[in-house]
Amino acid sequence: MSLLEQTHRNQLALASYCRTGILEDIPGINTENISQYRRLVFNVIDDMLQSAFPLSYELLKAREWQMITHDFFSNHACQSPQVWYMPREFYEYLEQTRPEILNNYPVLLELLWFEWLEVELFMMEDRGIDYRITGDLKQDAIVLNPEIHFQHFKFPVHLKKAKKITATDQGDYYLCIHRLPESGDVSFTDLSAAFVRLLELLSEKPQTAATLIDDLCEELKIEQTTEITAMCQDFISIAMESRLIIGFKNN
Amino acid sequence: MNMEAICDRIIGQHAFHPLKNIVMVGIGFRKDFAEEMLQNNIVQPAFIEVAPENWIGVGGFWKKQFRQALEKYPLYTHGLSLSIGSPDPLDFQFLKKVKAFLLETNAQLYSEHLSYSKCDNAHLYDLLPIPFTHDAVKHVAERIRIVQDVLERKISIEIVSYYSPVAPEITEIEFINNILAEVNCDLLLDVNNVYVNAFNHNYDAKQFIDLLPMERVSYIHMAGHHQVSEKLIIDTHGEAIIDPVFDLFEYSMHRLKRDVPVLLERDFNIPELDELQEEMTRLNEIKTAALKLTPYVTA
Repeated sequence: MSLLEQTHRNQLALASYCRTGILEDIPGINTENISQYRRLVFNVIDDMLQSAFPLSYELLKAREWQMITHDFFSNHACQSPQVWYMPREFYEYLEQTRPEILNNYPVLLELLWFEWLEVELFMMEDRGIDYRITGDLKQDAIVLNPEIHFQHFKFPVHLKKAKKITATDQGDYYLCIHRLPESGDVSFTDLSAAFVRLLELLSEKPQTAATLIDDLCEELKIEQTTEITAMCQDFISIAMESRLIIGFKNN
Repeated sequence: MNMEAICDRIIGQHAFHPLKNIVMVGIGFRKDFAEEMLQNNIVQPAFIEVAPENWIGVGGFWKKQFRQALEKYPLYTHGLSLSIGSPDPLDFQFLKKVKAFLLETNAQLYSEHLSYSKCDNAHLYDLLPIPFTHDAVKHVAERIRIVQDVLERKISIEIVSYYSPVAPEITEIEFINNILAEVNCDLLLDVNNVYVNAFNHNYDAKQFIDLLPMERVSYIHMAGHHQVSEKLIIDTHGEAIIDPVFDLFEYSMHRLKRDVPVLLERDFNIPELDELQEEMTRLNEIKTAALKLTPYVTA
């Protein structure tokens, strides 16, 4: 390419100023107006992050939010050409760099991830799958909603306001996040570990409810009592109503 | 004479008028008003425009909305992240996704900004001014050529608003015209950007328009802006178009002497849809009047 080193350096200096606020000597600039670029560029970043993480934004003090967002934008080279995907990089940056603020807010990382999952599930590409709505639950193989994510949290970020979560809330929380096929809305379902596992088994391949319950009991090494079978069948019916299970396998 | 014959006389066989429709005023399809726009006919654009970056790889609710829009309107596209003026290498992986998107959506036109938005391997998601230098002219022209080769189509390149020059060797108009002389691409004339730049950098907007190769203009953008001080206007797309920008548009249409698609951009501070339609109607009226006053010339 024909770009001279000096031109490259000037472009780099402007971009670096926008990210860090450190202005090097760039010839010919309007010193009054150049700060507009830093303001405008950071506004885009801040707006996008606030929009993706409204709960995290609400949890933190203004100066704390400003500190982590500026730190992110100054030190992380955003890779996605699609700005809506950038908030995921923000989460990953915090996860990798582990800034001190995470000690003050032990729920923050999980809260950010919880919020990102909603964005990602809402926006992600359709995962087309063949299924039919009607069938016989007693004998037909059932199909898991392909637009689903299984998640384990240590804090109940999906159940309580983040400000009210304390150390005593720490535990094992399992949930499924799925996209409703008709409306595209994202739904969160708090589940027991066993039912998450049942859905994970179903994600491997469509199968009948009876086989699925058999496999689950075998894996968990529990006796398949009438009570357990009924409980699982009830769960499968509810999961079909809520579209965690999307329908029946097409023959 | 019927309407179609009148349209034929006025717009001729220009490649950008598959609908032979003189009222080629479109609107930026924004998520803020997409649903409302699709549910009623308050806004009646001749086409819609989107940034591929905002729709590539998107499914679910928005994909359904976008599909509905594509069934109703022809699509024009306006990229944000190609970073045509960047010192960084072109992102060919991304460019291929853009190409696939343009094909899938039957996009009538793809435009990008004469600016850079990625540097030192980091996206900044906004438009930074390219230094007006001779080497940057060659660099940008070469990259436009490569992009056009990959996309297998001519692109339209937009004059951007800027708030400070960076190490300039030549003037803005020389920079733009030298690029257009180097590479066979089209020009997206953003009339508001010309107005903003003329105000911010103290030159005459009409003289600037006079110096542009109008035969290269394939697309026009119109938008509002925000004056932040006595000396500075920021190109926000968040306000209604002001009268002096409508006047400059009228002037541009007289200079252009032919019809090209015109887009109303409104990205923030979205008003009621009928206000957007009023702006589009005014753009239509100005354009129609200007073309009737001008002797018929084909592109």
